[in-house]
Amino acid sequence: MSHYVIGIDLGTTNSALAYKAINGGDSETSAVERLVIPQLVNAGEVAEENLLPSFLYIPVEKDFAAGTTSLPWNGNPQYVVGRLAQKRGVENAGRLVSSAKSWLSHAGVDRSGAILPNHAPEGVPRLSPVAASAEYLKHLRAAWDAQFPESPFTEQEVLVTVPASFDAVARELTLQAAEDAGYRQVTLLEEPQAAFYAWIERHPDWRERVQVGNLILVVDVGGGTTDFTLIAVTEERGELALERVAVGEHILLGGDNIDLALARLVADRLAEKGTRIDGMQLQMLWANCRAAKEKLLEAGSTAKEQPVTILGKGTGLVGGTIKAALRREDLDTVMQGFLPETPSSEMPIRQKRSGLQEIGLPYASDAAITRHLAKFLRQQSAASEQKMTRRGPSGLACPTHVLFNGGVLHSPFVRERLLRVLNGWLAEEGFGEIEPLTGEDLMQAVARGSAYYGAARHGKGVRIRGGIPRSYYVGIETTMPAVPGMTAPLKALTVAQFGMEEGTDVQILNREFGLLVGEPAEFRFFNSAVRKNDAPGTMIEDFGDELEEMSPMEVHLSADRDDREIVRVSFETVVTEIGMLQLWCVARDGRRWKLEFNVRERVAA
Amino acid sequence: MHRLAIAFRSFFALIFDGFLPVDLITELGLVEKSAIPKPAPPPPPAPTAADGALQLLGILQRDGRLLDFLMEDIASYSDDQVGAAVRGLHGQSRESLDRYVKLQPVIDGVEGTFAKTPAGDPGLVKFIGNVPAGTPKGGTLRHRGWRAMSIQLPPIAGRSDVTVVAPAEIEIE
Repeated sequence: MSHYVIGIDLGTTNSALAYKAINGGDSETSAVERLVIPQLVNAGEVAEENLLPSFLYIPVEKDFAAGTTSLPWNGNPQYVVGRLAQKRGVENAGRLVSSAKSWLSHAGVDRSGAILPNHAPEGVPRLSPVAASAEYLKHLRAAWDAQFPESPFTEQEVLVTVPASFDAVARELTLQAAEDAGYRQVTLLEEPQAAFYAWIERHPDWRERVQVGNLILVVDVGGGTTDFTLIAVTEERGELALERVAVGEHILLGGDNIDLALARLVADRLAEKGTRIDGMQLQMLWANCRAAKEKLLEAGSTAKEQPVTILGKGTGLVGGTIKAALRREDLDTVMQGFLPETPSSEMPIRQKRSGLQEIGLPYASDAAITRHLAKFLRQQSAASEQKMTRRGPSGLACPTHVLFNGGVLHSPFVRERLLRVLNGWLAEEGFGEIEPLTGEDLMQAVARGSAYYGAARHGKGVRIRGGIPRSYYVGIETTMPAVPGMTAPLKALTVAQFGMEEGTDVQILNREFGLLVGEPAEFRFFNSAVRKNDAPGTMIEDFGDELEEMSPMEVHLSADRDDREIVRVSFETVVTEIGMLQLWCVARDGRRWKLEFNVRERVAA
Repeated sequence: MHRLAIAFRSFFALIFDGFLPVDLITELGLVEKSAIPKPAPPPPPAPTAADGALQLLGILQRDGRLLDFLMEDIASYSDDQVGAAVRGLHGQSRESLDRYVKLQPVIDGVEGTFAKTPAGDPGLVKFIGNVPAGTPKGGTLRHRGWRAMSIQLPPIAGRSDVTVVAPAEIEIE
C-alpha cells in the first residue's frame, strides 16, 4: 500500500487536488501528480475534469430528473457541486452558493450560521460558509477514495491551502470545514508559499537561481482574492534558507471583478444604443467577455476588437441576438482601473461606506491592485527582518524577484504591466529591474506546491520558515470617568507577535484579569499585518486604523465548586505545530482554560 | 372419482383446511395459484437508435442552441445579424460535438492533391467526375470525408421521454 501526501487548493472559484507518493522517505524521485475529479457536468452526465469549480447548487424538487444527479460514490447527493452547479446556478442564482471562501473570511457575518446563498428566496434551505466549504472538501475526498481504494484518504497526510491573508478565525473555520468533511491529519499552508514551493519543484536547481539577500515577492491574483507575500533568501549553517517575512491584508479583488468590469462596460455601451440586458444576459456577457479578453490578449493578436454576442433567449435565436464588441481600448480602460501605473507613494483610497450597508461581501473599495501592492511594500518592517529585507531610501521594500500566481496573471499583458510598475518603483529607489521567476502552471501551482511541501517535510527538502503572519491583540477598556456619548477609549495588549513560530508558546505575565468562575467572559480581539514589532505584553494606546477587529474571544471558567470565586488569570499564547493560534487563560495555580472564537454574535461591521 | 365424493371432499377440505389436496387439484384440472407465473413488470424499453439520435439533438440544442437556429426563419435577417449569432453558436456546438463524438477525416490528405484509393470498404470513397470502369487507383482528393471514430453519449437516465429534446423554460420574475 502506498502512502501519499495530498495537497488541496480550496479556491474561491476553483479547487484542485495534487498528490505525491512518499515511499520510504524517497520522496525526491516521485512526481507530483494531479487528480482528475469526476463531477456532474450536465444532468445525468459525470465527467472527469482537472478542477472542481467551487460552486454548490441546492436543487429544488424536480429540478433534475430522478437519478440524474447521482455520482459514482453517492446515488442521491443532497447538493450538486462543481461544473453542473455553476451552470445551473446561472439560470437559478437564488439557489447557488458561490465564493464560500470569501464569506469564510468575512468578520461581519455569522460564519457558522446558515447564511448562503445570500440572496436565496424565502423557503430555500441555506447553509453556512463552513458547511459549503466542507461539501467541496467531501467531494474531493470521495473522488480520491474512488480512484485509490487501496489508500484511503483519511490515512494520507493532507495539506489544505489558505490565503496568507486569512486571519486566525478564517484559518480555524477552514480547519473546521476539513474536519466536518471527515479529514484527519490536516495541515494548513499559505497559498503564496505553496506557489513558491511549486516553483522549487519545477526547478531542482533553484539554489543556483537565487542567492542570499534576495527578496522574492509573490503576487497571487486569483478569481476572487489578491494576496501578497515577501520571502527572503537567507543563510543557515551554510545552506540557503527561506523565510516568509511579510504577508498582505485580505483583499477581495480578483479576475472575476476584472471580467465583470469589462462586461459592464460593454453593457453600458449597449444601453446607450437603447438595448438593455437583464441579469441572466449579463452573466452570458460576462462569460463571453472573459473569452473575448483572452482572444485579444493572445500573443500576436492585433485585432482592434473582438465580437461578443448574447444569443436570443427564446426560440428566436438569430432575431433576438444582441451584437456587441469588446474593444482593445476597453481592456486599457479596465486595466487602468485595476492596474494603474501609480507612484509607489500612492495608497489605496478608502471610501466612506453608507451607514446602512446591505450585508454582502466586503469587496475592496479601491480596485487598484497596484495601490494595494504599494501599501504592502511600504508596511512597517519587523526588527528581525530588517537585515533580510532590501529597502530603498524612501523605506519601500524592494524585491529582487517576483513570482506570479493565479489565473489573472496567466496573461503576459497583465504580467508585463505589473512588471513595468514594479520596475518604475525600483528605479526610483535606485535599484535595477526585478527578475520574474517563470515556468509555472498558474492554475495548478498551489495544489502542486502543497503536495511537494508535504513530501519535503519527510525528506531533506527546503521549508519556508514564517510563523504566524500577523500580530494579535486583546482589547482592554481603559478605566476613565464616563463621558456621555463617548465610548471608553480602548487599549490593545499584544498577545502574539508576527513571526511567532509553530510549536512555541509565550506567557504574558505583566497583566492579570479577574474572571468570575461559572460566567462566560468575552474579550475583544484584534490583529494587524502591519505592526510587526510589538513584543508580547506590549500595551498599544493609539493604534489608529492599524488594528483590525476580529470575532471576539470567549472563555468560560468551569466551576469545580459552587462558590462564585474570582480567579486571577494571565494569558498564554500557543502556536500549534500546524500553525493554529490558541489563547489560554492561566491561573496562578496552573489551571488553564482555552479561549474560543465566538463567530456568531458580532453583527455587521 | 365419483362426482359426489369430489364435491364432499372439496367442501370439507375448503371448510377445515382452507385449501384443496393435490389429488383433487389434479382431478379437477386446476393449477395451483402460486405456480402461476406473475406477469413480470414490463422491462424498460431498450434504447433504440432513435433515442440516441434524439439525445444528440438534445445535446446540440442544450450546448449550442442548434435546433433553435435551424428551425428559425432567417430569411429576413441581415447577414450581419446571422453572422453574429452563428459565431457564438458555432463555437459552442463544436465544443459540444468534440466532447461526445471523435471525428476524423476518412482520408487525411490535402484537398486538391492526389490521393490513393484506400483499401477495404467501398463505402469509404465516392468517386465523382469522369469515373472509368473498375475501381480507380486514385485521383484528386476533393473532400476528405468524415468518420466518427467513437461516440460516447452519457447514459439516458431519469427522464423517460426522450422526445422532449429541449424543455420549455418558464422564468419566475
